[in-house]
Amino acid sequence: IQEDHKLSTLELEEKYGTSINKGLSSARAAEILARDGPNALSPPKATPEIVKFLKQMVGGFSILLWIGAVCSWISSGIQIAQGAESPFDNLYLGVVLALVVILTGIFAYYQEAKSTNIMASFSKMIPQQALVIRDAEKKELPAEQLVVGDIVEIKGGDRIPADIRLIVTQGCKVDNSSLTGESEPQSRSCDFTHENPLETKNIAFYSTTCVEGTATGVVINTGDRTVIGRIASLASGVGNEKTPIAIEIEHFVYLVAGVAVSIGVLFFIISVSMRYKILDSIIFLIGIIVANVPEGLLATVTVSLSLTAKRMAKKNCLVKNLEAVETLGSTSIICSDKTGTLTQNRMTVAHLWFDNQIYSADTSEDQTTQPFDQTSPSWTALSKIVTLCNRAEFSPGQENLPIMKRVVVGDASETALLKFSEVILGNVMDIRARNKKVAEIPFNSTNKFQLSIHETDDPDDKRFLLVMKGAPERILERCSTIMINGKEEPLDSEKAEAFQTAYMELGGLGERVLGFCHLYLPENDFPDTYPFDTDSMNFPTSNLCFVGLLSMIDPPRSTVPDAVSKCRSAGIKVIMVTGDHPITAKAIAKSVGIISATSETVEDIAKRLNIPVEQVNRGEATAAVVNGMELKDMSSEQLDEILCNHSEIVFARTSPQQKLIIVEGCQRQGAVVAVTGDGVNDSPALKKADIGIAMGIAGSDAAKNAADMVLLDDNFASIVTGVEEGRLIFDNLKKTIAYTLTKNIAELCPFLIYIIASIPLPIGTITILFIDLGTDIIPSVALAYEKAESDIMNRRPRNKRKDRLVNEQLAIYSYLQIGIMQSVGAFVTYFTVYAEQGFLPSTLLGVRVDWESNAINDFEDSYGQQWTKYQRNYLQWTGYTAFFVSITIQQVADLIIRKTRRNSIFQQGLFRNKVIWVGIFSQIGIALILTYGLGHVTALNFTPLRFQYWFVAVPFAVLIWVYDEVRKLFIRRYPGSWWDKNMYY
Amino acid sequence: GLILLFYLVFYGFLAALFTFTMWVMLQTLSSDIPKYRDRISSPGLMISPKPDTALEFYFNKSDAQSYAEYVSTLRKFLESYDDSKQSQNINCTPGRIFDQNDVAVKKACRFNLSELGQCSGKEDKTFGYSRGTPCVLVKVNRIIGLKPEGEPRIQCTPKEEGMAEINYFPPEGLIDLMYFPYYGKRLHAHYLQPLVAVQLAINSNSTKEEITIECKILGSPNLKNEDDRDKFLGRIAFKIQMTE
Repeated sequence: IQEDHKLSTLELEEKYGTSINKGLSSARAAEILARDGPNALSPPKATPEIVKFLKQMVGGFSILLWIGAVCSWISSGIQIAQGAESPFDNLYLGVVLALVVILTGIFAYYQEAKSTNIMASFSKMIPQQALVIRDAEKKELPAEQLVVGDIVEIKGGDRIPADIRLIVTQGCKVDNSSLTGESEPQSRSCDFTHENPLETKNIAFYSTTCVEGTATGVVINTGDRTVIGRIASLASGVGNEKTPIAIEIEHFVYLVAGVAVSIGVLFFIISVSMRYKILDSIIFLIGIIVANVPEGLLATVTVSLSLTAKRMAKKNCLVKNLEAVETLGSTSIICSDKTGTLTQNRMTVAHLWFDNQIYSADTSEDQTTQPFDQTSPSWTALSKIVTLCNRAEFSPGQENLPIMKRVVVGDASETALLKFSEVILGNVMDIRARNKKVAEIPFNSTNKFQLSIHETDDPDDKRFLLVMKGAPERILERCSTIMINGKEEPLDSEKAEAFQTAYMELGGLGERVLGFCHLYLPENDFPDTYPFDTDSMNFPTSNLCFVGLLSMIDPPRSTVPDAVSKCRSAGIKVIMVTGDHPITAKAIAKSVGIISATSETVEDIAKRLNIPVEQVNRGEATAAVVNGMELKDMSSEQLDEILCNHSEIVFARTSPQQKLIIVEGCQRQGAVVAVTGDGVNDSPALKKADIGIAMGIAGSDAAKNAADMVLLDDNFASIVTGVEEGRLIFDNLKKTIAYTLTKNIAELCPFLIYIIASIPLPIGTITILFIDLGTDIIPSVALAYEKAESDIMNRRPRNKRKDRLVNEQLAIYSYLQIGIMQSVGAFVTYFTVYAEQGFLPSTLLGVRVDWESNAINDFEDSYGQQWTKYQRNYLQWTGYTAFFVSITIQQVADLIIRKTRRNSIFQQGLFRNKVIWVGIFSQIGIALILTYGLGHVTALNFTPLRFQYWFVAVPFAVLIWVYDEVRKLFIRRYPGSWWDKNMYY
Repeated sequence: GLILLFYLVFYGFLAALFTFTMWVMLQTLSSDIPKYRDRISSPGLMISPKPDTALEFYFNKSDAQSYAEYVSTLRKFLESYDDSKQSQNINCTPGRIFDQNDVAVKKACRFNLSELGQCSGKEDKTFGYSRGTPCVLVKVNRIIGLKPEGEPRIQCTPKEEGMAEINYFPPEGLIDLMYFPYYGKRLHAHYLQPLVAVQLAINSNSTKEEITIECKILGSPNLKNEDDRDKFLGRIAFKIQMTE
């Protein structure tokens, strides 16, 4: 616990061996720098690149393939030892398998590195400078070189370069939002005001900004030892949970690997017990593994995810971790910040009250006019006060920018008023110039008003105009009259009552209300030479004329209500978590629809029924506004109860630490939680969340580091488009996987039948690899471009326990139905090729041993002809090619049926997704090249194929399509039926 | 239950479909000759007897047991060449292709065992093995429609010269063209492929050594014998090792 805020200046000097006037000596500073290290947050520990790379080498199916490769090498070793004739086939296969693993590993590593790089560019910061006193001289130094004991000077606009104990201040205010989330500037002084170093006014914290004023202070903490640094290191302590898609892919890998290993082992046992040699059995095992493992799939998934990530980046969601793409889609709760995310993050005039009437102002982002009635003379008077009693000014050189986008020097309320009057009246600076200011009392917290006295631009009127604004009740106290329709009327109790009602009403909307009054000073008493003195206040400040009220709010972004209602229909609960006052929070929640118009909180019900809050039946309230103070005393059960029982929740006045508690509470409900945040203090919650979303504009680097995603435009609506993309990719990955798994059966069946029926091998291991990593890759990526089948934003988020990426139905339908159909089609081609060359199916059964014997070179076919080994081999490769071509042809049908899971292809449109056609053409093109172009390269085991064999499987391809259309028809016709339950994946 | 029934019906349908398409496909095939013969344009050579362990002969000429298997294999192989089995076969005109395209029932040409001389097994029941002059029969693979050009003959050479003398039956290892073409198992049921017997006289100083003999088909431009990949296309190599 630091005690520095309690120490006097002298004690401080002593403690840090420094001097307020002279600062540290350069030598001493260098010593301390060497001891403490640079004043910078140490970046989160990165996994070494080599570890990342090795992880890719052993992840997923790689282990299985390594086993296959090692088996190949072992068997080739045995063969070499036995002096067999072609021992290098297996050696070569092992090398190919190893290459496949290494290449896919490199690919995955490259993909990951690419997406990490996008983020790396983000975290590069412009080096910060600090004004330091050293060796009794003022120096500009990089903030990194600050050490404890340095004396630094800060001024408005600066970022605080370290934790600083203030010793001299002048109207200093800091924005602690990066620390606490509250964007209201806080004043700083040299006084010790609170026991808690976080609350006391004489400490300014690293990474916060000084909004106005100047200050000088002693650096008391640097780098990771600052308050922010400690929070940031806390965040790195929060473990990274596995993303939902990672869990799904793992589940899928286990499933496929399980199938591969169990079939492999089963057939190993079968082949051993069928008296095959152990060596042959091992070779069968390799074949089964290779056939079963979709080698290209994980790469395809990565590509699909990165395609979606690119698409999302275009929509302002920058994804840091590829898997987060899908996480967003499965999100069921979004815990959103208010300021900046749901709102525009700027004060804007929302309502006016004059002539006893409330007017609404336009609060949209790009207002150019104001629609309310501006004919009343009262408005003319009010607008004058608003314009003149204001110290804010536009920064120069922005005449061409829209008013709302211009940068203003001044606090939030004054900025709002300046822009408001600029929109309505035009050139405010000109008006101010024509109404020359002669005296001014700025706002201070004791007066709670701001006052200025002006000459008027009316040449006939020599009177001075006194204008005043401030807290409404304080302003009203100073008034004796009130302006109604341009006429001053005495302020009687009835009118005061009307004021009260309006004030309460506007306050109840969560708006900040200001009162405005004026007084024309009598010309006789105040001639134009009158010396106004603001210290002695030699002018009247009471019995003024009340003109009106203006209320301001940080209004919601115009796209947010729509986005919130989209979330609602998508079954996503939006919870607002804010440091703001409950009333403001609730008002914004209501205006964006987080609390819907019809629902009530317990307090609302109590008010409506006029009963105490305790008597309200809590079940009736659908909405809840929870105050941070209440949250502090809650047990986790109570929090769970609130999260469970209310569909619309707002957490107000919450501290960043409580955000973490809320996230954990949501996760206890089994929800996939997305959290938005910008401050450093949000980083633990961002890390804890299933998907942390940092703000690109307002967000701090720590927040961006902890987040999985960065919203480039800070807009809540962008999250919703991200959700949509995430859901789409989940659906499309399902299609990709279904597509890829199907042909695995058509690759596996040949091996099984080869072992059991002892026919010549229908398809080789290398050929399988050419399907998995050749013809099938582009089509399966093409499915990522598929449009949604129905409005995916109208269904509930997926239940991460039940709605698996690869469910039983998907596996069974792909493996046992379409896959088997494909196998049948391919086998027909296979038998056709053999029969037309002289080997009728009946001859083929049981010939394996003789067929493969190198010594038999007069193998007799069904017609009495005799074949040498090589002639048989060549025929076998023709068989491979035919089998390969048949699978490819049927995969085209498979690709087309996978476009939809429920709708007919005709509903989806065959040509809407052009990339599918690229896929189909590439598939056929690659097959043509392999068959006819590379047909003479012996090692690849392809041979040129008679053209008609390309069409043998076509009827089966058509059958697959028709069958799947029927399946989808029944699913649509009979929802909930036995068919639907078993056939819909 | 329903699931099982579904798969029963589903697989039943697929099996029926498979059977049907296979049946249709088989209907398109002729039972006499295969649709395509492009994968075997040139015949391979093969020998008899064919030892189990690759093409390597090991025997002791004084130990009848060591070559009994070779002898019985030869005997069995030559059974179909026995005169009694060749009663339907006709005597063809030697030196000419025996074209029978127009005839419905294809005749087979007679191959007299006597052509094999000392290797016919008639005089020497052990085919020379007991005397240290083992016989190996070289045959040309049957290929439907194959018509050799020129004067095909078999020529064998030991890899290292002088290790063995080689005698051919018929003389010079000639293969008569009248045995071609072959019309297939169904049409040409009694067809006998021509044989060339190779008798090795192993030099007495080369006994106990492994001798590699390479045989090739020569004299016919359309019978290949030098394919890089197919070591049995128009040629064959075997090893022989005799002890005393």
